[in-house]
Amino acid sequence: MTNSLASVAKGLASAIFALLVLAFTAFGNQAQALDLGTVDVSHSSASLHSEYQVLGAGESHWLGLRIAPREGWHSYWKNYGDSGAAPLFYWTLPDGVSVGEPLYPIPHRMPIGPLMNYGYEEPSVLLLPLKIDETFSGNAIDFSVDVEWLVCEIECVPQDASWSGQLAVGDMEPSDAARGLFAAARAALPELPIWSASLSIYEAQSRLKVFLDEAEAPNLSEAYFFPAGEGITEYAAEQQWSLTDEGLFVDMKRTVGGLEAEGGEGVLLLSFADGSKRAVEIDAELQVQKAMADAGAETGMPVIEATLPLWQAIIFALLGGMVLNLMPCVFPVLSLKAFSFISANAKTASERRQEGWAYTLGIWISFMAIVAVLLIIKSGGAAIGWGFQLQEPAFVGSLVLLMVLVALSLSGMFNITVGVESAGQGLAAQSGNKGAFFQGVLAALVATPCTAPLMAPAIGFALTQSAPVVFLVFSLLAFGLALPLLALSYSTSLARMMPRPGPWMEKLKEALAFPMYLTAAWLLYVFNLQAGATATLALLVGIITAIFGVWVWQSFAGQVSRIVAVVLLAGALAGIIYQPFGGQGSAQTQSSSEIQAYSEQNLAQLLADEETVFAYFTAEWCITCKVNEQVALFTDDTQALFADRGIVMLKGDWTNRNAEIASLLADYGRAGVPLYLLFPKGSDEAVVLPEILTPGIIKDAIEQNT
Amino acid sequence: MVKKLIVGIAVTLAATFAIAAKPVNDQSAPGFTGVTMTGETISLADFRGQPVILEWTNHECPYVRKHYGSGNMQKTQRAVTEAGAIWISIISSAPGEQGFVGAEEAQRLTAERGVYADHVILDPEGEIGRLYEAKTTPHMFLIDQESVLKYQGAIDDKPSANPRSLEGATNHVLSAWAEFSAGEEIKTAQTKPYGCSVKYAQ
Repeated sequence: MTNSLASVAKGLASAIFALLVLAFTAFGNQAQALDLGTVDVSHSSASLHSEYQVLGAGESHWLGLRIAPREGWHSYWKNYGDSGAAPLFYWTLPDGVSVGEPLYPIPHRMPIGPLMNYGYEEPSVLLLPLKIDETFSGNAIDFSVDVEWLVCEIECVPQDASWSGQLAVGDMEPSDAARGLFAAARAALPELPIWSASLSIYEAQSRLKVFLDEAEAPNLSEAYFFPAGEGITEYAAEQQWSLTDEGLFVDMKRTVGGLEAEGGEGVLLLSFADGSKRAVEIDAELQVQKAMADAGAETGMPVIEATLPLWQAIIFALLGGMVLNLMPCVFPVLSLKAFSFISANAKTASERRQEGWAYTLGIWISFMAIVAVLLIIKSGGAAIGWGFQLQEPAFVGSLVLLMVLVALSLSGMFNITVGVESAGQGLAAQSGNKGAFFQGVLAALVATPCTAPLMAPAIGFALTQSAPVVFLVFSLLAFGLALPLLALSYSTSLARMMPRPGPWMEKLKEALAFPMYLTAAWLLYVFNLQAGATATLALLVGIITAIFGVWVWQSFAGQVSRIVAVVLLAGALAGIIYQPFGGQGSAQTQSSSEIQAYSEQNLAQLLADEETVFAYFTAEWCITCKVNEQVALFTDDTQALFADRGIVMLKGDWTNRNAEIASLLADYGRAGVPLYLLFPKGSDEAVVLPEILTPGIIKDAIEQNT
Repeated sequence: MVKKLIVGIAVTLAATFAIAAKPVNDQSAPGFTGVTMTGETISLADFRGQPVILEWTNHECPYVRKHYGSGNMQKTQRAVTEAGAIWISIISSAPGEQGFVGAEEAQRLTAERGVYADHVILDPEGEIGRLYEAKTTPHMFLIDQESVLKYQGAIDDKPSANPRSLEGATNHVLSAWAEFSAGEEIKTAQTKPYGCSVKYAQ
């Protein structure tokens, strides 16, 4: 009876004691239960504790270092963020005894000006694992430790303290005094990893994917990743998260050209709508998705299909559309538009505005038509992507005809009066609302192959989305393309700055024909590769017939000649579209013997044989691809490097439609070419090179991955 | 209204195309112009043809004090400046913040501590600091004769404020300098800087 009463009393006493310790842990700086000693330093105090009074040989134990910064000051996590320092320990221990890396409580974010720190504004306990070998035979451990930790308010003051003493070794006995402190310290640690995760590192961004079920994080209001290592995020940048049925994604901004990521560890902090929080350790598999090249940094935006936030896709689309104005394939059409603009002061402000909108409408309707066709074909199961219309020789042929006719018109052979407005001679005929509309159509048609790097993410995103989102994104793309000229059409001051019309305009008009001829020549080259020489001859005959038709229309008045002209034009167009002599183009057979053609099977075989493989995906109508091949890929140096390293080249030619290539592009989140993949020896994970190549990028990628 | 629209578009386009000058190794170092403690206006471009070392500093920061108090920073400065490099110390502390000094104070500190820096730039607006994304004091950069950035990061591999830590520390700036002068590739070309945060205006 007395015995049990005594034990109850003892239990109660120790419980009260533990509570007191807890209370002091939470609120006190000084009144810490003395264990291995408390040291007051200038701007903080620290105490060292052992969980056991008597330690056991062959066992692992925990020591706790409690750091209590002065009010308003803070100490640091193991990764301090932008500035600061993690605590440092210098142990002196007998043989057979070691102390490992500390476990840190869940860190907090502490923004300081443009920088971000990770650490603790209140007392924190670091848990230090102390390991005693079985062979340790003494009955006490003589230890000493110097600890340096940093506390900062805005200014920083390093703190130093030393502890030394003896830890008894024998029959293990926990320390009652320390129980509360260790219980609280454990409660403050993040949970051990319970979810698997991957961390993908791109040039300017990294993405954490955590395989957790949506039901595991209901009412999630924020997810934040504290990376333990460098090279993962710019600490001060905001993180974006999204919870989908595939898992939780956290996107982080990365410093371009910063340190390389070396590990995927860290702490994921989940905050919930009810104010509760949960922190879990993450040990993510690191996937470096890019060549760590030193150039081409600006093109490094990864394509993230499913989870790119809609507003970002829309901004990319708008910017991408604006960038398109400067692309070589749009320039000739813009020259037309610029031309009509020069004549702008012949018009009133409202006329100009109307034209601006007509131009915008022309672009928009064309984009919508292309997207509609694309969606219809896609829903039929065909694997196609952006630029698909240029895979169709009939489309390319029609575009050649159109370019030639517009160019001839500019050269002064005749005046195309687009639309049915009064066929007044001179400039105004071409720059009415209908003219502006068709210039918009033309701009949209020729712009499509120029998928600027900025557009790629938006298009990749859009093509995986529902139809309304696709139309929305492409509407913004169209608007972006139209925006510069639309905005100019609103500017009266700019219109006033335009020079007066005069004979010089005729010369300018004639000069602007030449970019159009060049565009026609390029398209003809594409057509020749797609459809073959016979079809090219037929196309040229068709074009000449069409020109003849126009000439007949212009030269002879009267119904008969009009009918003849229309028949000639229609016949020429039908011939181009129908292609009676269309055959297999030369594009397929172009590869030299050293470059193998891409197929899934071929690639799988090469990878199984442990070859280093460089696969490139290109198309004759893709100017970026051609430029890359000329300046970077097929230079003597690069080819010598490939030969030297025994790299097998695979060419995926997307000039014509090809389902295997489309599906591979989709695997890499791309809707079009170019795509450059380097498979290091024995790996089936590709390193993705940027869309704009330099010899240096290729060289670096090869040197770092072979 | 129209003007605003045009300006807006121009800015957006410029932002799209501007290759943002960022401190990236093996790329051109961001160009800057600053006023030194002697009232001289200097630019990075003035030193084309000579290697340049940039050092972010704050004389009150304990980590900086470790390197100056022990003579380690002066030793490093002397070694590279005698070998032909230009050493520029930059103070990006905002007025009222720790480490902010006027021209006279900067000159006094330089004389008192026996500093071998060729120039000390006062950057109270933090412009150069932000341009280089300088995060800590010290934070070091090595720029070659062609204005290409070759090293950025910590001065050494011991993130401690204790002078004891200098013993056995690897001085990243000196080792990068040695490899650079020998025409070799710099093995450790980027490290995480440690120390006090740069005291930018809040």
